[in-house]
Amino acid sequence: MRRIPIVQGEHKVIAEPGVVISTLLGSCVAVCLQDPIARVGGMNHFLLAEPADHGVPHEERQRYGIHAMELLINAMMTHGALRGRLRAHLYGGANLIAGLGRIGSDNAAFARQFMATEGIEIGRCELEGTHARKVEFMPYEGRVRSTLIKQAPPLHIPEWFGRTDGDVELF
Amino acid sequence: MPAASAIKVMVVDDQTSMRAMIRRTLQDLGFKDVRDKAGAAEALAAIKTDRVHLVISDYNMPDMDGLQFLEAVRADPVIGKTVFIMLTGSADREVVQKAAALGVNNYVVKPFAPAALKEKIERVFGELS
Repeated sequence: MRRIPIVQGEHKVIAEPGVVISTLLGSCVAVCLQDPIARVGGMNHFLLAEPADHGVPHEERQRYGIHAMELLINAMMTHGALRGRLRAHLYGGANLIAGLGRIGSDNAAFARQFMATEGIEIGRCELEGTHARKVEFMPYEGRVRSTLIKQAPPLHIPEWFGRTDGDVELF
Repeated sequence: MPAASAIKVMVVDDQTSMRAMIRRTLQDLGFKDVRDKAGAAEALAAIKTDRVHLVISDYNMPDMDGLQFLEAVRADPVIGKTVFIMLTGSADREVVQKAAALGVNNYVVKPFAPAALKEKIERVFGELS
């Protein structure tokens, strides 16, 4: 069994048996897509930029999610998937830390809305909550497993942190 | 100084969310006449019957990709000189080179900010009012 871990900002598409794509999620969202006929699957892991209450407009934040989804879908189609056959499993979007707003819920809402807009059927959907998750996806077989974990994933510290007097932002 | 409101635009992208976002971005920049299509073949047919000044097209689309679309536009005696801006991914250097050889007017790398799209359009049309 070959294991391929991905982190925020990455995606991976696989069309061969015996491979597991995995990731750790806090407020980020991972979308697992599969075409069961072409036996192609892929996973991404994204966050909608900074939260709206940091002054980034809602529209601007959507760009990151739309782009992340486009990269995954294009890679799926390059491997033989058809858009009309895609099925999605959605994970993540947790609100891990009280007082930090609902960053996770924003990410989860984006993922749900994207699938509705694009007409992609949603299979399993484990979004929001207050715990981090480990997600393991077998793209060829179409199997997916999510495990709640007590310890949050390592904090992502943005590049800009330390250059200004801004507040710490936890992902 | 051309008025954005006088420029007719056709947006072509197979992803509904992306089309909607580009449309909103253009409308925020002052464009009034923005049409969109999910595929290059139907966009080509549409602009042959109702011409536009500017085409903004994704590269990576099923059936007919952005390069094939650009080639078809340039080969048409009526719409051949339509301004064509290609949307590409960051790793598509080869695509940009091919598009340049086919006569693309400019390109925009996704994900892009509204200001970046405006700048690329203005490089072709001049400063927009």
